[in-house]
Amino acid sequence: MDQLIIRLSILLVACFVTVLSDAREVKINGFIAQGVTQADGSNFVEDDGGISFKLTEVGVNSTYRLNSTFRFAGQAVYLDGGNRYQQGARVDYLFLESQLYDSEQWSIKAQLGRNKNYHWLYSATRDVPHTRPSVILPQSLYFDAFRDVALGVDGLALVTQGNNSLGEWDINFSLGTSPISSEQKNNLLGRSAKGKLKHDNDKQFSVYWRPSLSNIQIGVALLDAEFSYKQGDNDTLVNGNENSQRFMFNILYQQPNYEIAIELMRERIIVDSILFPNFHSDIFGEGGYVQGQYFLSRDLTLLARIDIYDRDRENRSGRLINSMSQGTIPNYFGFMDQGTLGLTWSLSEKMQLQAEYHRAKGAARLAPTFTPDTVLNDNKYWTVWAVQVMYWF
Amino acid sequence: MLKSFVLSQFLFFLMIPVVYGLETDAQVFVNASVKLDDMTKIQARRIFSMRQTSWPDHSLITVYVMESSHQTHKVFSTQLLGLFPYQLDRIWNKLVYSGLGEEPIKVKNEQEMLDKISNTPGAIGYLLNNLQIDNANVKIVFVTEG
Repeated sequence: MDQLIIRLSILLVACFVTVLSDAREVKINGFIAQGVTQADGSNFVEDDGGISFKLTEVGVNSTYRLNSTFRFAGQAVYLDGGNRYQQGARVDYLFLESQLYDSEQWSIKAQLGRNKNYHWLYSATRDVPHTRPSVILPQSLYFDAFRDVALGVDGLALVTQGNNSLGEWDINFSLGTSPISSEQKNNLLGRSAKGKLKHDNDKQFSVYWRPSLSNIQIGVALLDAEFSYKQGDNDTLVNGNENSQRFMFNILYQQPNYEIAIELMRERIIVDSILFPNFHSDIFGEGGYVQGQYFLSRDLTLLARIDIYDRDRENRSGRLINSMSQGTIPNYFGFMDQGTLGLTWSLSEKMQLQAEYHRAKGAARLAPTFTPDTVLNDNKYWTVWAVQVMYWF
Repeated sequence: MLKSFVLSQFLFFLMIPVVYGLETDAQVFVNASVKLDDMTKIQARRIFSMRQTSWPDHSLITVYVMESSHQTHKVFSTQLLGLFPYQLDRIWNKLVYSGLGEEPIKVKNEQEMLDKISNTPGAIGYLLNNLQIDNANVKIVFVTEG
């Protein structure tokens, strides 16, 4: 399957380069962003919690329409976020799009290749700095250690957009898998994992509705993802499977001077073995955030957000984690709540600066999630600040 | 019964800020090749948010807009579409940076807007009402509330 995806990607790149060379007018867009950040009291960015310049995001994209039915689109990015996700260059998306149906009211498109995750409020452009409300997104839903898996899939996406008497609709479906790098595996399972983690299957569905001529948007999204782990040499972990299921609900309300976004989720995680033979866990986590943005002037936007996450809704205090680990894992690995204050300052039409401060309680969304690092994350309360300058074209 | 009343009042409250009359300071213009004399506000929203990319005769739509900070764009966006300029920016950013679609073509001023619409079959854009347009290749498309 991996070989097939690599070959398909190479074929798509070759086709893309060929058509670009013949194109009379090719649109190139992109972004460059550099920042400085510090997560004091946790390993969120650096192991030692020190000041870091690992806040680099660079991307370039292009699209070329062959005719009214087919279109190529692709984006390459270079990212460095410290411990948050894998550092390096990668193909963010690269697909061939086919217009399956097009009328004045409805259109249906199919994308084949590496697609973006169009299902969550900020997932489609979470790596594009100027499209985000803040440098660091709410970790309850936009969990950085899980970022590469949640970014999109190699496979098929169906995108439907339309209008009827009730309003405007976006209906999305995607099916595929994501490659899991060794660093991504370490973020999820810990550095002691010597085996191979594979993303076997990922299905997502979402519906967004905007009542006719209103400024409110309501969305729901469903996720079902399956993973398998194959034990490596001298491995403390064993063969096993993991299944993640998410139900998400969001509301976006926009006015001339402010915007309110709410996104909530319930996440079921089923684990069979992996940690040790015959281990079984089936828990429901819950989380979500409420975010307000106030447009103080044309150039200045203020942000305030509360983000809450509980790993197990039956054990919100984390007491069970502590007792099951015989006291080695503190309670605060059972939750992670975060308050954020930030500002966005528009320096010009294509350039802006974002600055923010986060105060966090708990460590449930800090990597690695399966085998918590109680040495580096020995604080129940910790902080993050970040300042990033971004330019786009 | 009570539920539907509450819901209808809630939706009405949400819609208050976007209900505008047809008296606007901006007009939609198209290339003379476009066989259309009027469109609804909903259709105008679909076209300028790039959700509708072809005309009823299946020819491609080419959308021209000005920078978000341009006064003409602000008037057009808020009065004619009932959308705040930042909402359109976000829609277009998502299209461009997620591969979902293409953004409109940006022009610097009214004269360039007029030239582009005039010279591009299937083109659509907007201009302020107070401009005297004497160009056989462009025509007004009236936007109705519908």
